[in-house]
This record gives sequence, C-alpha cells and structure tokens, in this order.
Amino acid sequence: MSVNDRIATSSDRAVAEGPVPGGRSPRAAPNVLRLVVLRELRTRGLSGSYIISSAVTLLIVLGLIIVPTIFGDSTTTYRLGLVGDGNQPIIDSATALANARSTDSDAQTTFETRAFEDIAAAETAVEEGELEAVLVDGEELVMATTGGLGGSDVQDLVQQAAGTRQVESLVGEERAPEVVDALTTDPLQVRALSGQDAQENEGRAWIAYGGLVLTYMIILGYAVWTLNGVTEEKSNRVIELLLAAAKPWELLAGKILGISLLGLGQFLVTITAALIAIRVTGAFDLPVVPVDMVATLVLWVVLGFGIYMVLSGAAGALASKPEDAQNAMTPISMMAVGSFFLSFAVLDSPDGLAATIGTFVPFTAPFVIPIRAAFQVLPLWQHLLAIAIALVTTGILLRVGGRVYSGGALQFGGRLKWREAFRSAEL
Amino acid sequence: MLEISGLQKRYGDVVALDGASFSVARGRMLGFLGPNGAGKTTSMRAIFGLVRLDGGALQWDGRPITNPARLGFGYMPEQRGLYPKMKTKEQIAYFGQLHGMSKAAAVDAAVSWLERLGLGDRLNDPIEALSHGNQQRAQLAAALVHDPELLVLDEPFSGLDPIGAETMADVLRERAAAGSAVLFSSHQLDVVEDLCEDVAIIHEGRVVLDGDVRNLKAASPHRVLEIEVDGDAGDLLRRLDGVRSSTFDGHRYRLLVDADADVRDVLAEADRNRSVQHLSYSTPSLSQLFKEAVT
Repeated sequence: MSVNDRIATSSDRAVAEGPVPGGRSPRAAPNVLRLVVLRELRTRGLSGSYIISSAVTLLIVLGLIIVPTIFGDSTTTYRLGLVGDGNQPIIDSATALANARSTDSDAQTTFETRAFEDIAAAETAVEEGELEAVLVDGEELVMATTGGLGGSDVQDLVQQAAGTRQVESLVGEERAPEVVDALTTDPLQVRALSGQDAQENEGRAWIAYGGLVLTYMIILGYAVWTLNGVTEEKSNRVIELLLAAAKPWELLAGKILGISLLGLGQFLVTITAALIAIRVTGAFDLPVVPVDMVATLVLWVVLGFGIYMVLSGAAGALASKPEDAQNAMTPISMMAVGSFFLSFAVLDSPDGLAATIGTFVPFTAPFVIPIRAAFQVLPLWQHLLAIAIALVTTGILLRVGGRVYSGGALQFGGRLKWREAFRSAEL
Repeated sequence: MLEISGLQKRYGDVVALDGASFSVARGRMLGFLGPNGAGKTTSMRAIFGLVRLDGGALQWDGRPITNPARLGFGYMPEQRGLYPKMKTKEQIAYFGQLHGMSKAAAVDAAVSWLERLGLGDRLNDPIEALSHGNQQRAQLAAALVHDPELLVLDEPFSGLDPIGAETMADVLRERAAAGSAVLFSSHQLDVVEDLCEDVAIIHEGRVVLDGDVRNLKAASPHRVLEIEVDGDAGDLLRRLDGVRSSTFDGHRYRLLVDADADVRDVLAEADRNRSVQHLSYSTPSLSQLFKEAVT
C-alpha cells in the first residue's frame, strides 16, 4: 500500500447511509382524541391505584348493604340487674312491648337479668359495663349515665313498661292494653299523596343518599386525577412535545374523556353491584329496582363529570408543580363541597326553595337533582331545563377552560391566575 | 425547504423576535447559534405553532405551515420530557401514532430506533428507570420515530457524554443524508462547525449572519495567521500591514489580519531564515465569526 492510499478521497466524505427505520410511511391525519383517550384508559385503568380504589369503594358499599342484614336486628339482648322485689312484672311488660312494636318478625328483644343482694354490688357491675342498668324495687332505674344523643332504648322500654303497670293498677287489667295503645302508638292513619308506600320511599331515600355520597366521591376523586394529570404533563415537560403534534383542546378533551370513562366505569360497577346486593339481601324491601332513579343518577354523574373535569383540567394547566395544583383546585373543591352540603338540605326538603335553586345552578345540579328525582318531586320541565343548562355550561367551560389550558400549558414559572392564562393563550 | 421570514414576537416589554429570517434546505443541516435569550427557542417553538407570533411567516416547501404539515416534523424541545411511568417502547410508538403512523408501523419504528440508539434491552422499562443519558436517547427516538422531513432540535448536544454526542452526530448526519432538513441549536460551536453545512446566527431577535459556513468564512474580511518558530518571530510580524489583533502564548503567535493583507513576504522570510514549528493561514473559525456577529 503506497502512502497516498492513506489519504482520504472525496468518496470517503459520503455519510454511511443508515437504514431508515420504519421507512417513510404514509401519514394519515391521526385521530388524536382517540389516541389520548386510549392512553389514559390504558395507563390509568391498569394502574394499581385505579384497581385498588375501585375495589375498596365496591367493598365498602357492599359491606354497608350486606353486613346489617346479616348481623342486623335479629336479637337484641339487654342486661339488667335486679335489686329488691317488684321488678319482674316490669321486665315482662318491657319484653312484650318491645316485641309487639317491632315490624320485623325475625327481631327478638330479650332481657337477661341478674339478681343482686345489695345495691352497691349492682352499681359496680353497671360502672364496669357488665350491665346496662339496675332496676331497684320496681321504683328506680340506675344507669351509668343518662341523656346523650338519641336517648337510651333500655331506659325508654323500662319506663314504658313501668307506666303500663301503673295504668293497669289504675284502670284494671282488662282495659289497660287499650289505654297503653292509645298512649304509645300513632292514633291517626297517614296517607301520602305522592310516592308509593312508606317502605319503598325509605328505600329510595337510602339509595338517593348512597348515590349522592358516591357521586360526590367519584366526581371529586376523578377531578383530582384530571388536575394532577395535566399538572404532571407540565411538570415533566412532556406537554411541549404533545402540543407540537396535537391541538390543546384535543389533549384536554382526551384526558377528560379518558378519566371520566374510568370514573363512570367505577360508578356503574359499584351501583350495579349495590342494586344486586339490595335485591338479593332484601335490605330495603324494594319491590322493583328503581330504574328511573338509577338512570337519573348515571345521567347526572356524566353531566357532573363534564363540568367538574373541564374546570379541574384548566386548573391543572395553571400550576407547574403538583403542590401548586392543589391551590388552583381550591375554588373548585369548595364548589363541590358546598353542593354536597346543599344536597343534605335537599334531602330534608326535596321540594324547598334551596332544592329548586340548586336544580338550575349547573355546579350544584349533579348533587341535587338525583335526590329530587328519587323523591319524585322533580317536574319534567325542570329536569329538562337543568340538563340544557348543564350542557350549555359545559360547552362554555370547554371553550374558556380550553383557552386557559393552552395559555397555561407552556408557562412554567410558578402558579398562574385564571385571567392571566386566559389572556395569554398562545395556541 | 423551511423558510422563516420576518418573525416578530414580544412578551410585554421584552422583544423576543425582531424580524428573524433564515431557511433550512432538505438534505442539509443548519446550526442555529446565538447567545442566551437571543430568540432561538422562541423561533423553534414558532415552527410548531407553540408561539402566537406578532408578525412574520413560516413556510414549508413554499406553503404556509399547517397542522397536517407539522405531522411530518420532528421536535426535541429544550426542556426534555416524556411520561416517566410509561414504558419506553409504548411511549415512542405513541408519539409515532400522534404523528399519523399506524399502530403497527409506529411500534416497528419505535423498536428499530430504540435498538439503533442502544436501548434495545430497555424497551419495556418505564422512562423513569433509564439513566439520564438513556432518557436523552429515548427523547431523540421520540423526535425521529415518524421519520420526519424536518427535524428541529433545541440544544440536542447539551448534557451528552462523548459517546452520546457521537451517536447524536451520526444520526443527524444520516437524517440529512437521507434528505431531511435538520435544524438544531447549540452553544458548542466546534460541534456545529464539524457537522453543519449551514449556520444562522441570531442576536437580539434578528438573524445577523446566515448561509453556507464555507462561504461565510470565505466572505469574512479577516484571516487567521498562526506562526511558531524557534526564537522570537515578533520582529518579523511587526512588518505586516493590516493586523487587527494578536495574541502570543509564549510560543505561538495568533494574528487576525485583513483578508487582503499580503502575508507572503513574511511567510517566505520565516521559511528561509527561521526553524518553523507551526504555520497556518486560514479563514476564521466559526467561533470567530460568531464573536464578530454578536458584538
């Protein structure tokens, strides 16, 4: 080899042309919305936190329904100490009274009694919690405390039994039951103008209440996911790469839709399981599954997602770090908490002024309407108008929130204000 | 061909872009230079529609840049970022799909690029499990997966070790050779000088110098003369006309002279009477051009 061969020639200049991985494949307009939704479903739906939180919610709800029917009011036993004479007739009356009043044929109330020689020993037993009370000579009831919330069942029962004994001695044994009846039961028959019978109404109220708590938990819980999801994309800076390929509204809407679907999935699974459990165990004596109620509940969870998810997605774009995100979320959480408390007022008075106003305010409606529908006091026109208001509000929020999102997405210094982000929207 | 003309952008009182114009041709690589805050990142973001411009125009192949055109662009932002918990292969394929690839093609391309960049055994690891250098490689794969016609990289060499830098340089050369237009910013002027046919130097929002590096150098009004002889060459050099500046490190003189200054007499004298250790006469380096352009 001559020395000149070691001198590079112009052909060495050409770059070794590597393979073109994947080749230049044809580019179709991607369905960004679908891709973003699928990514959210895949990465979050299979995550441990989603599966565990869904399972825990399901177990709690099922537990609340099933456990009382297993251990519920089958047999109640009161432990009573007896000192002196004249106590047994009162105990007998109390047992009869309790069992006569119970609506549940399986329920049994019994008194377990223990005789004491002197009152001091009996009082010690009460203090140590071995006994609920001590009856002394048919004239005195000794308890650890009196009063407190809800009073004491044993105190009420024994008092009534003693009263019955006194009435018997006043009017004679034959007429005594009539007199006692007149004093202790509701003398008037009650006829409700709306709704079915009392038991069904009670069942509906329970489902409305349970549905409300579940709606609140799920809307707020998944709103926080949306909030953190957006802030995370900002804090790990992947947002710039995403925005280089997709429009802000596609990214925001995809995230909202994906997370909402997961939330709705959890809601549907929980509520379906709960209804099945109610039917199987007969927990609320419901004659049929109240389809209208469940449909209203699901509809308003969807509408509630629309409103609260858009707001929290925009709030997420205001923060650059997760710790700032919570602050940005505060007004939205306050709104949800306020609506939750309002809905308790609605439970008390489903036809009142607060209920009517709450129906037409889109932020409170998801919590108020299912309750009013459960009590069957929501006129159709009000329901339709509320749906229209919620849809229009969601549309407006999407535009405003989308703009806040695009204004905030690429600003990384500290926490932005809503107005600043809205004004500085770049995209 | 990417053509950027007259970009204007203000943030409040701060002027970020003040009429910046330059172009990048297919099959060529352009180094985008400028001091911090000169407007490099804002210009690059503008290509992807991430900045609402106050004025100016951006064209690709003679047409205004639209969203469908951007699907054919690849981007590596200055602030790197991927989903930390998402698997590497899945994530790169996701970006391919966002750019319009079918799922199968995106997965294939993700795998080949990751293998090519040395991440073949980390395909199913989440990004957060990768080292910093490997995350950079994954970031490059995200910019390349859809085989972009225009590749825009903001400081791609920052934070890379020498091996990583070499891989990056190879890939960029290869993409340009395959016909893509490649635009990247850097503060490492030697890297740019080594890699790029073209440069654009931006200063205070305006492009103050741009074009083919060789032509720019040739067009410079200055030349660099370096000389080292046994003994002192100072007396010899003082005879020269047109010296702009000079430095002497104890052994070697480095002179910036006018391009039309006649140095032949001095060189001949040195060759005849001194023992020459080093002698060079050249166009200025890119770093010299840069300093002249921004001061």
